[in-house]
Amino acid sequence: MNRLFSSILTGLVVLITAYPFAWMFLSSFKTNREIYQPGKMLPESFDPFAYKLLFSGELFDFSSVLVRSLLLAGGQAFFACLVTAATGFALAKGRFRGKSLLFWAALLIILYPKQAMSLALFEWMARLEITGNLYGLMLSGVASGLGVIFFTQVFRKVPDELIDLAKVEGQGPLFCFFTLLPLIFPALCTYGILHFFLCWQEHLLPLLTLGSVQLTLPLALAKLGDSSYNTPEAVGLAAGVLAMLPLLLLFCYFFRRVRSALADWVVS
Amino acid sequence: MPNKRAGRLWDNSGSFLLLISPFLLAWAFFWVVPLFTGVDLAMQESHQFSGPVSGTGYTHSPFSNFERAINDPKFIHSLENTSLFIVGSILITLGLSFFLAVSVYELNKKIQGICLFFLLIPSFALPGSLATLFYLFFHGKSGALNQFLVIPLGFDPINWMMDPSWILPCLVLQAVWRWTGVITLVLYCGIRAIPHWQFEVARIEGASAWSKVRTILFPGTRHLLLFAGIFLLVDGVAAFSGAYNLLGGSGGVLDAGLLFVTYAYQVAFPGGSGRFDLPLASAACVLVAGTTACFAWLLLQVRKHMRN
Repeated sequence: MNRLFSSILTGLVVLITAYPFAWMFLSSFKTNREIYQPGKMLPESFDPFAYKLLFSGELFDFSSVLVRSLLLAGGQAFFACLVTAATGFALAKGRFRGKSLLFWAALLIILYPKQAMSLALFEWMARLEITGNLYGLMLSGVASGLGVIFFTQVFRKVPDELIDLAKVEGQGPLFCFFTLLPLIFPALCTYGILHFFLCWQEHLLPLLTLGSVQLTLPLALAKLGDSSYNTPEAVGLAAGVLAMLPLLLLFCYFFRRVRSALADWVVS
Repeated sequence: MPNKRAGRLWDNSGSFLLLISPFLLAWAFFWVVPLFTGVDLAMQESHQFSGPVSGTGYTHSPFSNFERAINDPKFIHSLENTSLFIVGSILITLGLSFFLAVSVYELNKKIQGICLFFLLIPSFALPGSLATLFYLFFHGKSGALNQFLVIPLGFDPINWMMDPSWILPCLVLQAVWRWTGVITLVLYCGIRAIPHWQFEVARIEGASAWSKVRTILFPGTRHLLLFAGIFLLVDGVAAFSGAYNLLGGSGGVLDAGLLFVTYAYQVAFPGGSGRFDLPLASAACVLVAGTTACFAWLLLQVRKHMRN
């Protein structure tokens, strides 16, 4: 394609996708009157009243919402990494019965839309009486099919010589798996971030199980958007900015690693 | 999954079973059991018909909830909306991402990373903030869509959320906005993986841009396009948060923006029409999710076939 045309097309789309977020950040300092003029970019004054209102606890305890979301997404991503990496290792390097069954199970988890399972999962958790429990919710997302498939491909690329070495040394698969973990650190980061993203944005299941007292970020945002609360628009935008921040920072830090891990995955 | 190097695999079933046991436990406990709970729930008699209401000619059979779902015009309507939503977002997202990936690939190396990063920004936002942002920035008479697109083209400003024919396109637009960056990144990596000599040959032969797309770029990325399509399909069936924030849990004017998960949520829980009819919602979920999984599996088989 013509290089000029490519540059213009890319520039235009980048502008359309990213510009509203700059507007969102600046508008979190604006009054409603200013916000209702979307053509306007800069606020009249940088008054962080919306952030102050959020953290003052007048609406709801926003800092604990933030902590809860971080705990939920971080914990779930950590355990999902560990659990699915172990399964991926077994699938890539081991011989045992029911291997293909395990692979299909993982695939099925991906293909069966998770939200459609939420109602049944809620019913099941209610029978177990663990609704309202953050740790129950955390564990419910640990069995990730995407993780299993991803780590199977990652461990397939680990040279068999390393496994042979472990065998010669008289180590078992369990020990071998834990010694290999530093080697696949970029892949662990990549999947960890991805899982963190997905869990961070999960809306329906927390809505059903945690109820109206223990909010996570998506629920808090929906609450702020609800017109019956009558909060200034800037507060919702400020909450949106704060919700984006952890993901943005994580991604900035790991961008190269994620890209190279993704490029590896695309080839396999 | 067949493994070519089966001879070199490690024989130590006991330890490997120990390694996979956490996954198996979590899978059984939070996936298999809920799946059967869902099916079980779908076969139970709804509270709507128990008590004094029963005996009005309604007899319960294990499949009557499924029948009721299929005969519910709202369910069918939500399916129509969801299908349109999925088809629209898949076509636009894949097309746009493909051309963006090609365009970014043609750019200077240093700018490539920056462009990809900026394109990814919408996927960091919660779907809820996308909805809020959409509502405040794009929507409305003085919103960006009307100011920069509709009015300059000489049309009357559109009332996006109140006009039933525009609600669904708004939701599609949000999905496109959210996913284009991610899919562009995947396709970009796919293009980078195409052997460089193919482009050299095309350059020497003086191939046109179109024939380059047709003979190199498309065949080199079509398995990824299909993969992205499957991902968007499964995600589209499950779409909830954006519509929930934009329409407050309702289906919008004339239910024009009623997506499937919102329907199930409405049937199961109060708010909106709130029917507390968990069995009916469960039956609808089992039907739709089962069909989606089968369809996606078929597509995966196509992908496998394509790669061999």
